[in-house]
Amino acid sequence: MTDTTSMTQASGGGLSAQKLGLIAVAVLLAGLIAVPVAVGDEFVYHIFITICLFAALSTAWNIVGGYAGQLSLGHAIFYGIGGYAGVILVNLGISPWFGMFAGAAVAVVAAIVVSWPCFRLHGPFFALATIAFLEVFRVLALHFRELTGGATGLMIQLNIGWEWMVFRERLPALLIAFGMLLVCLAVAWAIRSHRLGFYLVATRERESAAKAAGVGTVKVRLMAVSISAALSAMVGTFHAMYLTFIEPESMFSLQFSIQIAMFALIGGIGTVWGPLLGAVLLVPITEFARGALGSEAIGLHGFVYGVVLMLVVLFLPNGIMGVVHRFTSGSEKTEGEQAAPVAAAPRSAVPHEAGREVMRVEGLQKHFGGLHVTNDVGFTLREGEILGVIGPNGAGKTTVFNMLSGFLKPDEGRVSVLSPSGEWQEPATPADFATLGVGRTFQIVQPFAAMTVEENIMVGAFHRHPHVGDAREAARETAHRMGLGPYLNAEAASLTIGGLKRLEVARVMAMEPRILLLDEVMAGINQTDVRRAVDLMLSIRDTGVSIIAIEHVMQAVMSLSDRVIVINSGQIIAQGDPHDVVRDEHVIEAYLGKEFTHA
Amino acid sequence: MLEVKNVDAGYGSTVILQDISLHVEPGEVVTIVGANGAGKTTLLRTISGLVKPRTGAITFEGKDITKLEAHDTVDRGITLIPEGRQLFPDMTVRDNLLMGAYCRHARDYQDDTLHEVLELFPRLRERLDQHASSLSGGEQQMVAIARGMMARPKILMFDEPSLGLAPIIVSQVFEVIAQVAATGTTVLIVEQNVFHTLKAADRGYVLENGRMVLSDDADALLQNDHVRQAYLGI
Amino acid sequence: MDTFLQIVANGLMLGGLFAIVAVGLTLIFGIVKVINFAHGEFLMVGMYLTFLLSTGMDVHPYLTAAAVAPALFVLGALTQRLLIQPLMSARDEHVQIFATVGLSTALMNLALLVFGADIANTPAHGVRSQVMLGEVRILTGQLWVFGAAILLVIGLQLFMKKTRTGRAIRATAQNRAAARLMGINDKFIYILTFGLGAACVGLGSSLIAPLYPTSPTIGTYFVLIAFVCVVLGGLGSIPGAFFGALVIGLVDALSGFYIGSDLREAVVFTIFLLILILKPSGLFGTRMNLSHVSP
Repeated sequence: MTDTTSMTQASGGGLSAQKLGLIAVAVLLAGLIAVPVAVGDEFVYHIFITICLFAALSTAWNIVGGYAGQLSLGHAIFYGIGGYAGVILVNLGISPWFGMFAGAAVAVVAAIVVSWPCFRLHGPFFALATIAFLEVFRVLALHFRELTGGATGLMIQLNIGWEWMVFRERLPALLIAFGMLLVCLAVAWAIRSHRLGFYLVATRERESAAKAAGVGTVKVRLMAVSISAALSAMVGTFHAMYLTFIEPESMFSLQFSIQIAMFALIGGIGTVWGPLLGAVLLVPITEFARGALGSEAIGLHGFVYGVVLMLVVLFLPNGIMGVVHRFTSGSEKTEGEQAAPVAAAPRSAVPHEAGREVMRVEGLQKHFGGLHVTNDVGFTLREGEILGVIGPNGAGKTTVFNMLSGFLKPDEGRVSVLSPSGEWQEPATPADFATLGVGRTFQIVQPFAAMTVEENIMVGAFHRHPHVGDAREAARETAHRMGLGPYLNAEAASLTIGGLKRLEVARVMAMEPRILLLDEVMAGINQTDVRRAVDLMLSIRDTGVSIIAIEHVMQAVMSLSDRVIVINSGQIIAQGDPHDVVRDEHVIEAYLGKEFTHA
Repeated sequence: MLEVKNVDAGYGSTVILQDISLHVEPGEVVTIVGANGAGKTTLLRTISGLVKPRTGAITFEGKDITKLEAHDTVDRGITLIPEGRQLFPDMTVRDNLLMGAYCRHARDYQDDTLHEVLELFPRLRERLDQHASSLSGGEQQMVAIARGMMARPKILMFDEPSLGLAPIIVSQVFEVIAQVAATGTTVLIVEQNVFHTLKAADRGYVLENGRMVLSDDADALLQNDHVRQAYLGI
Repeated sequence: MDTFLQIVANGLMLGGLFAIVAVGLTLIFGIVKVINFAHGEFLMVGMYLTFLLSTGMDVHPYLTAAAVAPALFVLGALTQRLLIQPLMSARDEHVQIFATVGLSTALMNLALLVFGADIANTPAHGVRSQVMLGEVRILTGQLWVFGAAILLVIGLQLFMKKTRTGRAIRATAQNRAAARLMGINDKFIYILTFGLGAACVGLGSSLIAPLYPTSPTIGTYFVLIAFVCVVLGGLGSIPGAFFGALVIGLVDALSGFYIGSDLREAVVFTIFLLILILKPSGLFGTRMNLSHVSP
């Protein structure tokens, strides 16, 4: 899953490893042309053309299946659409060079129609839905004989020449297939190294955290699916011309779809070069088995594929690229304590004063089934104010947070936020809240595990800086401020819980929010770090950012908060100055324990 | 009876517990208090075999149980009532309780134990054929405790029994724990409700950031300056 | 009217056949939480075993179930132990999907390699003869399948509700960690369940083999339909899968007659997609799913 080599311009050894990798890829690509030309054998040409085709299809699949993590097992839909569009138009006298784009356009429409309703499905259900769509397409292709020729298939009129993509020799076909592979690889690489790629991986890893960082998760997935479908259709058009004959069973085949996905998985799912590697290694097996052993060995290559696939998921879950990565990156493990000091700016001695109102919360109500989890919660937040929220576990604090950030819709009541231009708005979705400058953390940390610390923070930074270079710079700055500087290139998954809590805050800070919602960011970190975190929050507050913080660490709540709200059983039972609130009788009873008074 | 010696434990690359030692004697009520995220739950999960210690040893009744799976520790007489109750939501209360008696030594007595347990929780008798998910939070906690007792444990471990319950229910839960202890069962409680639990316990440990920082009689801990400052805000 | 009754009867019989395949699939999904893409190939393996045993030893294909079901139990248990169990803690779901997809591909092609692409006809031993039920004609074999499906569903329900092991299986499915704390060996429960699910389809294969020609790709058709039945009936629900199968059998038969036999599958899969997309609550049970907030 991880593809850190292609993304991080790692310092020192990493850079040369990356160069080495690029040289290896260049050699591999050159070999795809050079070998068949040197050997000059028809059959070898055929094998290499097939490798290029499968590598291109698999690379296109990987944009959806790998980057976005939407496991499509129906990708032959788009390939088939491209094939049929090409053949039908050729038979009307239109060149496949146009047919290709017509097919791609239809495929994009089909992709959006197929995927949009399916995005709410996860893992195996998405896969099942794509299989079902594929079956529907296949049956329809069989049914509409006038258009598709039905089960008897369609033959193309044999016009030879570049404008028809049909040749007597094999070399031009190889060149076209190779060109398509290059296009697919270039697109895949470009996506992976720009904002879209970061957003896709973030959405795959933690959808809610991605939403909180302002990512339009549906939009980026639709973009990925559309690009992938268009590329697949274009390859499909060419393949149909190469085969000169198509039929529904082979164009809309489940086995074919599975193969495309299989190459990506074996090579390294989610990596730029993995699908290419998978195809280069596995396609020759098929073609040799077919060519050399003939009908004797029918099923042999499929059997080998199946076994290889099982072995890969069991022993190399990151595919061949995972092995390559392990060798090139060496031992870059981060061990020990992540206790780099938080570089908090010294606080100004000027006494602090809260400004105008920036958020109004009125009469929030929420029920889950029969449970009344939020009951008439309302308060206001001022500019440059820290509002502490305390209450026993299960009191409904996080539910309120979810309504303040668009993750839950209140049954009644409203949340208004003052926009930078000074109007009151009522945002509805996490994306709306993010746009208005509301950033949140999650109580249970939600790192994008397959990304490095720097990349995690960049996902937040993209909110204000759309270009990779700027986002990286902003992310580094935030990381240093949060004491994560030394771990920029560490995988997020390798951080300790304290480190992950800080990463959670850093990602939000990189969004440069105006209102910061912090959900128990001090839980589980040690006393020294609590003190540092308090200083950090005060310095953030002093830049004019308003903060609402759910906290259990009373020491932090007392020293941080300008005001405190106490929630119990979904209701606000007290609010005001922190020192007054802890003396409140209801608060003591509900939260601190009745014996507190007698102690 | 139960002895934890120099245990380190955690999940994946994250270390949660460091050099933890504690002991519990037969018939005692011992508590481990600490803030959210201090590692209390991980400690109980380690004792019960859900989490494997990296170093250190755990012995129970003189036998090493460090490497046992969770289902084996239950057979030895160690039962954990997990945080958040963790009932089987789509099973009836009766089936939930019967699952409690799944382990080998409790199987043959399940009808008798059920009878005894229902004496202690008369309210559950009316609920026996309802789905566990239809009960209120307090009732669910009672089912969780009753289910734990169905295993006829030698030591019963409670993980945050008061979590998410209204104050009045919390008091009831602690009354029940006192009754359980009165039957001679050894009890180990983990809680963030520091006052209630220290009042109920004989001895207590204080866990901070994965390390044991204090251990004393419960009454002494209640008067301890550090405890008062860190957990009671005074 | 006669035609209509005949179609309904055909649909119900077809539904019984789908049910006997779908029950094992839903059992495995409901408990182990794995979608077994190789379930169709389990059926195919069972049918070939039935073919080999009944022709080789010249016995009634139904009798071979006594050997085929245990053999499939072993195949299922091994699948869980060797392929799924090592992947249960995997971070990404895709590895489990690909694992069973790989198994499916390997088994199908192994059958191609061993038996070739030609079909194998299991001797019918009289189960292809027709009986008249009032106005409608039905194959005796179809009736046996239908009856067996009902008995299988009732038997499994009783096992799950009334036995200690059955309760342990349900408990493990509902809350794995809590089940372990009750002293339940969850790994064993998963192996047992996967084996049971495979044994169900093994039983089915001995009943289906005399009715359908056996080929390496027969599983693909059945497993896709079985997925539809399982989703329709509510994933993991055994009676649900049975009734889902009856509905799909009827839809298949009726749409085949009234819409066109070549569009039957399109109708069935369109229904499947509508349910998947419009009623996802049916997929995940009725309990609230707040995973989008704090997974």
